[in-house]
Amino acid sequence: MAGPTAHSWAGGPVNPFKGQREAAIRWTLRICALTSVVGLVLMVAFLLRESLPAWKEAGLANIFAYEWNPDKGRYGILIFLAGTLAVSLVSLLLGAPLALATAIYLHAYARPAWRRVIGKGLEVLAGIPSIILGWLGFTTLVPLVRRLAGGTGMGILPASIVLAVMILPTVATIARDSLDAVPESFAEASFSMGATRWQTLRRVIIPTAWPGIAVAMILGLGRALGETMAVAMVIGPATAFPRNLTTPTHTLTTKIMLEMGESTGVHRSSLFAMALVLLALSMLLILLVRLLSRKAVREFSGGVLTC
Amino acid sequence: MKGEPVVAVRSAVRSPSGAPPLGEGNGWRGLLEERAAKAARKASMADRAAGLVFKAAAAVSLAVLAFIIGIILVKGLGTAVRPSFLFGRPQAMKEGGGIGPMFISSLYLTFLTTVIVVPLGVGAALYLAEFSRDGRLVRLVRWGTESLSSISSVVFGIFGMVFFVIYMRLSYSLLAGALTLTLMNLPTVMRVTEESIRAIPWSYREASLSLGASRWETARRVVLPAALPGITTGAILTMGRIMGESAALVYTVGIFVRKPPLSPLQPAAPMAANIWHLYTEGALIPDWMRVASGEAAALLVLVLLLNLGAGALARVIRKKMGIVQ
Amino acid sequence: MPCEADEEEVRGLIGSREALMEVVVGQGDLPPGGVREEESPRVRGNKMELEGLSLSYGERMVLEDINMPVPDRSITAVIGPSGCGKSSLLRCLNRMNELVDGARVKGKVYLDGEDVYAPGYDVVGLRRRVGMVFQKPNPFPKSVYENVAYGPRLYGVRQKKVLDRIVEESLRRAALWDEVKDKLGSSALALSGGQQQRLCIARVLAVQPEVILLDEPCSALDPISTQRIEDLLHELKEMYTIVIVTHNMQQAARVSDFTAFITVEEQGSPGRLVEFGETGEVFTNPREKKTEDYITGRFG
Repeated sequence: MAGPTAHSWAGGPVNPFKGQREAAIRWTLRICALTSVVGLVLMVAFLLRESLPAWKEAGLANIFAYEWNPDKGRYGILIFLAGTLAVSLVSLLLGAPLALATAIYLHAYARPAWRRVIGKGLEVLAGIPSIILGWLGFTTLVPLVRRLAGGTGMGILPASIVLAVMILPTVATIARDSLDAVPESFAEASFSMGATRWQTLRRVIIPTAWPGIAVAMILGLGRALGETMAVAMVIGPATAFPRNLTTPTHTLTTKIMLEMGESTGVHRSSLFAMALVLLALSMLLILLVRLLSRKAVREFSGGVLTC
Repeated sequence: MKGEPVVAVRSAVRSPSGAPPLGEGNGWRGLLEERAAKAARKASMADRAAGLVFKAAAAVSLAVLAFIIGIILVKGLGTAVRPSFLFGRPQAMKEGGGIGPMFISSLYLTFLTTVIVVPLGVGAALYLAEFSRDGRLVRLVRWGTESLSSISSVVFGIFGMVFFVIYMRLSYSLLAGALTLTLMNLPTVMRVTEESIRAIPWSYREASLSLGASRWETARRVVLPAALPGITTGAILTMGRIMGESAALVYTVGIFVRKPPLSPLQPAAPMAANIWHLYTEGALIPDWMRVASGEAAALLVLVLLLNLGAGALARVIRKKMGIVQ
Repeated sequence: MPCEADEEEVRGLIGSREALMEVVVGQGDLPPGGVREEESPRVRGNKMELEGLSLSYGERMVLEDINMPVPDRSITAVIGPSGCGKSSLLRCLNRMNELVDGARVKGKVYLDGEDVYAPGYDVVGLRRRVGMVFQKPNPFPKSVYENVAYGPRLYGVRQKKVLDRIVEESLRRAALWDEVKDKLGSSALALSGGQQQRLCIARVLAVQPEVILLDEPCSALDPISTQRIEDLLHELKEMYTIVIVTHNMQQAARVSDFTAFITVEEQGSPGRLVEFGETGEVFTNPREKKTEDYITGRFG
């Protein structure tokens, strides 16, 4: 999210446009820019429209209920919500420490050559399609879990592991950027007092960068929340409450994915309702990220430096 | 000034221990000195341990990447590099099928989407960076873009289905998929382009304007060319994402497709989505796992080429344009 | 008994700074009038000594063959045109230059007779004994209290009562206590520039250094804050050895006891020590022509 540049067009020459051509071009560009907003609005609108029967039929309270049984008219999505949250949180639990440690390595301990290599490696990892990770999970991870823990080998555990790998680059890169953003002078002051690298990191750099690190984790969580394919191939699926890590279950995304093709009527509408819930969750996370980003800026500038 | 008082003076000014004689509260130098040695030893041990931990973490991350790429390629590359596989026809019930139509679908879809999303995204980014003031409209667009970028791919998929496929009557088609993916990737293209544009020094624009060029002329002749390396990188990275996308395509681009799409209005079966289909329905094909592994390997190679090629291409462009940045 | 003589008595007895230097420095060995460059090395009473110090960053040599003393319990100013390596010289004294990739140091730097660049020398201990204040105030984004307590905490001091006392005493010595005593918990970044710089000084004082290095400490401050810090330095030199880099010659003349003049032959060549001596002498009666040119403003 870029802010205004130091020089901006605002306050520039009053009549910068030459004739109608400029105006027409400006309008074209404006329309391009509005595409994202229009798209978003259309999305919400159509999702609402399609999910309306479900809201009407089951009502708000019942949508968030436990039981899901379309044949009997029960559309509670609690199981799937639980699945989504479980898978996201566990993946964060597994992936964030490794990601943060890698970020710290890149910021403070890596020599320039390694920094480039590992940085590029993270980029490549980020670009690996989720379907491939899901396929790998299915062919390699699930049999392993099956051997170690019995059962089908599918469930929250393999899904979280796959997701942890997926969010690793996201969390690591953003955390590293926020560590790098801490002004050099703080580290200098700390070193000049005889602190070691780790002491400086622990006492100055990381505490200063924590809003950015939190943002990194939230964005990782957001990615995990919305992931479909990689999860779908290892989570079962089954409409069963995730009692433990190795019971097949569903998340909101996988449920939508797997049943949209053959569902009709209210069943289908409730899938759209789930999509709306997902939308709301991700927008909530974005809000959180914005609040934290503002906090980060305040930390650095403190009060006004009057001399 | 010699004699007794001098001795007194000397001692007073510098006592044997080296501690300053003046005032009280000097006591804590001793405290620090006695603690400092021990603390320094502990701290340096902790620092070395921490260094090891972090280096290990980075090694693990790299190992994970190597493992993933390695296994996929080992299991599938053998299948994938055979032309009979890559360009061959898929089989419905028999062994030995290929992924020819899927390969073509992926390429076609990537091309189509890129051709739509890049001009749109660059135009939008240009507007935000060059043609607007930081007012309500700009803030609205930014919020919309940010929100869009956070939405799950399956939600895009079902929206694409109800809007493009059904409402706009495109039915399952390459175009419907391309438009859906456009919406999905618009934020990324906008962000990368805007960053590239903002990185261009103000002085370029100043020079152009002072020669009498208008904003658009400046943008077209100075800003965009200078931003080209960044825009190209963004475009190629987006192509990689399009190639790898599956969730958003399953309900927009078609399901049981076996033939390559000849026009954008026909359904298609891009490789990533096809792997999913093999997973859900593939038991019909006896060697479906082999096909899926081969397809995965081919897909991975294509995506890796795009990712690694993006940086290289940007460097080439920069050199050709003589940009020193 | 001798140790009980207090400051007033001592001043009364001695009466002048020069005589004090005479007493402390040479136990009567040196002629009155202070230290001269050719006589200074190896004289007892120098807190630090630089011997053949050369510094290069990669291929570029920044300082060449610097030989000078840092007399104990006095203020030594390092002056010279910008870019001649004054700041780099300062950073050699507490081995901060090592943080730059490719920095190489030749020669020796003695602190109390020990070469700090000797292999195995305790760098952490060095940085406690030789503290540094930077050009741009750089308090941590923490509270005033936590900034000052940072150093002692590093060394394992944990009891709140002890820390409280250290913080108060350090702030007093930095002439900042009265202004911040009611807001020790508030953010250090909310202080004015001059206050932040004094806070940085307090932070350094809290680890009880023996030497304090200041790298153009007032260049980012207004004249009034500058004055306060100069007054503070006068007080501090009673207890600490101070080295101050400054591009402001008037400040050097006002504040310091000894002056070192560093300059370069031409753009890009390494900095060399041209002259070192008592400030009064260097400014009124410099021995080298280059010094005279610089001081009278003919260049630099």
